[in-house]
Amino acid sequence: MRYKGNILEVNDLCLSLSNADGAPVKILNNLKFNVRSGEILGLIGDSGSGKTMTALAVSGLLSDFAHVDSGEIIFEGEDLVKKTPKERRLLLGEKIGVIFQDPSSALDPLQTVESNLSEIISIRDGDKSKGHERILNMLKTVGFDDPKQIAKRYPHRLSGGQRQRVLIAGAALMNPSLLIADEPTSSLDTVTSMSIMQLLHEMCQEMGISILFISHNLNTVRNFCDRVMVMKEGTIIDADTSWDIMGQPKSAFTAELLMKSKLDPHALGITRGEARENAASVLTAKSICAGYKYAGFTNDKMNHVVNNVDFDILEGECVGLIGSSGCGKTTLVKSILGLIKPSSGIIEMNGRIAAVFQDPVSSLNPAHTVRWHLAEALRASGRKMTREEQKPYFLKILEDVGLEGKHLNRFPHQMSGGQRQKAAIAMCLVQEPAVIIADEPFSALDASSQASVIKLLSDINANRGTTMLIVSHNLLVIKAMCSKVLVMDKGRIVESGNTDEVLENPKAEATHALLKAGKYAV
Amino acid sequence: MRSSANSKRYLYIGSALLAIVAVFFIIGLIWTPYGINSTDSASKFIAPCAEHLFGTDNLGRDVFSRCLAAARYTLLVSFAGVAVALVIGTITGLLAGYYGGIIDKVIMVLSNSIMCFPGILLALVAVAIFGPSLYNVIWALGLVFAPTFARVYRSSTIELLGRDYILSAKVMKVNPVRIMFVHILPNLMPQILPAVIIGLANMTLFESGMSYLGLGVQPPAASYGKMLADAQSYMVTAPWLIFFPTLMLVCYILGLYFVSEWVRTSVNGGSK
Amino acid sequence: MGNEVRTVFSKICEFVLTALLVSFFTFAAFSIIPGDTARVMLGPDASEAQVQQLRTELGLDRPLAERYGTWLRDAFRGDLGNSLSFGTPVSELISSRLAVTLGMSFIALIIVILVSFPMAAFCSRNPGNITDKTLSTAGHILFAIPPFALSMMLILIFSKVFHIFTAGRYTAPGDNFGAYVVSLLLPSLCIALPKIAMTFKFLRASMIEYSHSDFVRTAKSHGLTDLRIMLRHIIPNSAVSSITVISLVLSDILGGSLIVEQVFNLPGLGRLLLAAISRRDFPLLSGIVLYLAIITVILYFLADIFAAVIDPRIRDRRAA
Repeated sequence: MRYKGNILEVNDLCLSLSNADGAPVKILNNLKFNVRSGEILGLIGDSGSGKTMTALAVSGLLSDFAHVDSGEIIFEGEDLVKKTPKERRLLLGEKIGVIFQDPSSALDPLQTVESNLSEIISIRDGDKSKGHERILNMLKTVGFDDPKQIAKRYPHRLSGGQRQRVLIAGAALMNPSLLIADEPTSSLDTVTSMSIMQLLHEMCQEMGISILFISHNLNTVRNFCDRVMVMKEGTIIDADTSWDIMGQPKSAFTAELLMKSKLDPHALGITRGEARENAASVLTAKSICAGYKYAGFTNDKMNHVVNNVDFDILEGECVGLIGSSGCGKTTLVKSILGLIKPSSGIIEMNGRIAAVFQDPVSSLNPAHTVRWHLAEALRASGRKMTREEQKPYFLKILEDVGLEGKHLNRFPHQMSGGQRQKAAIAMCLVQEPAVIIADEPFSALDASSQASVIKLLSDINANRGTTMLIVSHNLLVIKAMCSKVLVMDKGRIVESGNTDEVLENPKAEATHALLKAGKYAV
Repeated sequence: MRSSANSKRYLYIGSALLAIVAVFFIIGLIWTPYGINSTDSASKFIAPCAEHLFGTDNLGRDVFSRCLAAARYTLLVSFAGVAVALVIGTITGLLAGYYGGIIDKVIMVLSNSIMCFPGILLALVAVAIFGPSLYNVIWALGLVFAPTFARVYRSSTIELLGRDYILSAKVMKVNPVRIMFVHILPNLMPQILPAVIIGLANMTLFESGMSYLGLGVQPPAASYGKMLADAQSYMVTAPWLIFFPTLMLVCYILGLYFVSEWVRTSVNGGSK
Repeated sequence: MGNEVRTVFSKICEFVLTALLVSFFTFAAFSIIPGDTARVMLGPDASEAQVQQLRTELGLDRPLAERYGTWLRDAFRGDLGNSLSFGTPVSELISSRLAVTLGMSFIALIIVILVSFPMAAFCSRNPGNITDKTLSTAGHILFAIPPFALSMMLILIFSKVFHIFTAGRYTAPGDNFGAYVVSLLLPSLCIALPKIAMTFKFLRASMIEYSHSDFVRTAKSHGLTDLRIMLRHIIPNSAVSSITVISLVLSDILGGSLIVEQVFNLPGLGRLLLAAISRRDFPLLSGIVLYLAIITVILYFLADIFAAVIDPRIRDRRAA
C-alpha cells in the first residue's frame, strides 16, 4: 500500500556546511517543497544552488561537515530530522532509493552485479533463494533481456547505461516509495540518457514510485516531470507544472535559464559556412578503417571502430559530424589528425590541419604561458619570426579570438574555461591552417562561453575562409553552423548531405534516434 | 582545511630537522673540535660531557667530531645517488611511457628484473665486485633506485598522453623529443618531487645499511653506519655510541619524510 | 573463461622470462668483473699457474654464451658449483641457512599484514583525530630509523632491561619448532616495524579514498552499516590496490633480513653473503644472489596471481 498524500514534505529546512576554517556557510535557506504521491518532481538549478545538498539531506547521506540547523523533513508522516542515524539508515534502500550522477564507479568493481545487489536484501531478511529471484525480476524490469547473464557480470564489463540501470534496479529493489535521482543522466550520451529517463517514467507509472529528479538542465525535465521547481542559492524561487514553467516563467532567473537552454543563431549573428563556388576539396577520406590493436597470443587483433569511411570536405565549408557516443567519431577524428594510424584507406589533405579539443581544462599545457603556446604553434608551423615581430602578431591574434593582451603572459590555471578554449583556437590561427577540426569544443563550457566560442568559430570560418569540421552532439549548434552534416553510427557514415535535408527528413535509423534524443536533452 | 594546517606543521618540523643536519654538514666541512681519527687511549668511553658533547668511543675518538664529519658522506651519497637514478629514470621512463609498445616492454621487463633483486643485495653485490669505494656505492645505489623513478615517470607520462594539450602538440607535429622534455617533463614535477625526496631518505637508509656491513664508505672517512657497527659490542656500557649516530640519521630521514609529506599535500591541494 | 586461462598463462610466461633474465643478470654480473676474474679472486700474490688452473676450473676460457648455458643447466639441477672458501657445494650451504632468512621474512610479513590492516581500517574511520595523528606520527618515526639501529635498541630493551631475550640464540626448526619461531620473533619485529609504517600509510590513504568513493556511497544508499561497508567493500578494494606495495615490501623484507640477522648474530643468508663477499667467493655469492632473486620473482608472481584472483578487472585486462 502506498502512502496517500504527500510522500515528502520539506518545511523551512536550513542547512549549513562548515568551510575550511570550520565556520558554517549556509547552503539551504528555509527550503520548502513537497513531493506528492506518484509524481515526478523536477528540481532545477545551477551548480552550487544546493540541489545536491537537498538530495543528501532528504536521503540522510550528508557528510560530517554538513549540519541541519532547523526545519523538518517529513517522510510518510514522520520527521526524519528527529530520527536516529540507525533508523534513517534502515529507511535507505527500503523506503527511499537514491541514484547518483556518475555510474562509472558506483558499483563495487570486485563483485558481480548480483552480489552488489544481494546485500540490500541479505541485511534485511536472510532468504537467499528468494532474493535471487527478486534480483533477476528487477533486472528484467529495468530493461535487461537476459538478467541471468547480467547478474553474473562484473561492473567493468557493463556500459555506462547498463550500470545506471543496475543502480536503478538496486534503488528500486525493495520497492521504495521515493526515488531520489541526482542528475542520473548527465554523464551519459543523449540516446542512452533518454532511455534511462523513459525507464524512470515507467517505474513511476507502473510501480507507483514517486521520483525527485534533480538536473541542471531545464530542457531535460520539460517532457518528463509533472512539476518543476527552480532553485537558486538554497531556496525555491519558482515552482509550477512543467508546462507552465516553460511557457510563462514567473521569475527572471527561470527565464534566463530558459534562454540559455536555447540557441538562437540570429541573435548570435551566425551564418552557415558554405563551400565557395568551384571550391577544391581540402580534406578527402577514402575508405578509412581504423581501430585499436590489442595483443593476442598468436597475432595482434584489430578491433575496428571506424569502418570504410568516405567523405570529402570542400574549401570554406563548415561540416558537422554527429553520432551517439561510441559510434567512432573520436577515432575517426584521431585518424584524420594523424594521432592513430588508420589500418587502411587514404586521407588527402590540402594544407595544414589544426585541432581544438573538448576539454578546456587540459586544452593548454599547465606548465606554460599563453605566449609559449603561441610561440610553439608558430614554431610548429615552420614560420620564423624574431621576438620583436612576435609580440604584435600574437596580440593581434589574441584580439581576433576575443582575448586581451594581458592574457599573453597568463598561465592556463589563471583563465576561465572559455578563455582557455579561445587561447587554444588562437594556437590554431597562428598555424594558419586550411582546416580546423573541432572535437566537441563547446560541450564542457557554460552556456555563455559556449555561445561566444560558437560565434568565434563561425566568424573564423566566414572571415578567414578556414574550412571547419565540427564534431558535436548538440544538434542546434550543428544546425546553426554547418551547411553539410555527416551522421555516424557503428563506425560507418550512415547518412550525409545538406544539413536541413538530413535533419528534417532523416533516412537512417541512427539519425532518427539522435533527433528524438535531442528533443529531450539538448 | 585542517589538513593544510597539519601539512604546514610537517613543513616546519621537517625543515627544522633538516636544518640541524645542514648545520652539522657545514660545520663538519670547516672544523671539527678533535681530529676524527685521533685516538686517545686516556679518554676511552667518556660519557657525553662538556668536553666531549657526544662522548668518546672505544678508541677514545670524539663522537661529536665524527658525527660532524660523517654528515658530508650521508648527504653526498644520497644526493649523488638520487641524481644518477633520476637521470637514468627520467630518460627510460619518458621513453617507455611516450612510445609504449616494444620500447616500453623492453624497458619495463629490464626494470622489473632489477626490482626482483632486493635493493640492498644488488648494491652489495655491485660493491663486492667492483670494490667498496664512494663512487661505486653511489652508482650502485643509483642503479638500484632508477627503476623506481622510471616507473613514476612512465605512469605519469601515460596519464598525460591523453591530455588535449599533448594531442594538440602531436597534431602540430612537434618533435617527439621536444614533446617529452618541453611539453611533458615540466608537468611531472608534482609526482617527481615527492619521489625525489623519498628517494633521498631511502638512499640514506641503504647507504647506512651498507656502511654498517662495512661495504659503504671506507675508513678513514667516518660514516654513521660504520660508527654504529663499531659501537654494537659496547652498546650496553656506552649506549651514547649508538644514540647519537642514530639520532643524526633519524633527523635527516625524518626531516625528508616530513617535507615530502608537505610537498605531496600542498601539490595535490594546489591543483584542485 | 578463456580470458582467465590466458591471463594465467601470460603471467607464467612473464614469470619464466623474468626468472631467466634475473639469472642472466646474476651470471653476467659475475662475468664482467673488471680485469681477470681468476686473478681478482686469488689476489695479487698467486702464481700464474694457480690463476690458470682456477680459470680452467671456473670455465673462464670458454665463450660467455656457452658458460651461461652450462651454468643455467647446472643451476636448474640445483648444482651451483662448489664454494671456494668452504669447499662444500653452494646449494648445500645456502639451504642450510634458508630456514633463518625465509622464516624471519615470513614472520615479518605476517606481522606487517596483521598489524597494518586493522590499524589502517581504524584510523581511516576518523582521519585527523588524536589516535590517527599519534599512530601516523609514530609510523613516520619508525619509518625513519634504520632497521639495524632499531634492532640494537630493541636488543638493548628486551635483553638488557627486561631480560627476556638473548641475542644470537637460535634453535633450528627441526630441533624445536616453537623455540625456532620464538628465536626469530624479535628480529622479525625489527624488520617488520618500518614496513608496517609504510604499509599502514599507504593503506590508510587508500581506505580514506575508498570511503569517499562512489560505490561506498551506493552501499550507504542501500542501507548498509559502516562496519559491513568496511569489511565487504573498503578492505577488499584497498587490498587490491596495496598488492604492488606489499610485494615491494616483501622484497624489502628479504633485503632487510640480510642486515638484521647480522645484528642479531643469526646464522642466515646475510652472514653467508658477507662471508662470501669478504672472501671473494664468487660461486657462493652468485648462488646466494640467484636464490634470493628467484625467491623474489616467485613472490611477485604469487602476488600477481593473488591480485588476479580477487580483481576481475585484472583477469580481463587482455580482452579489454
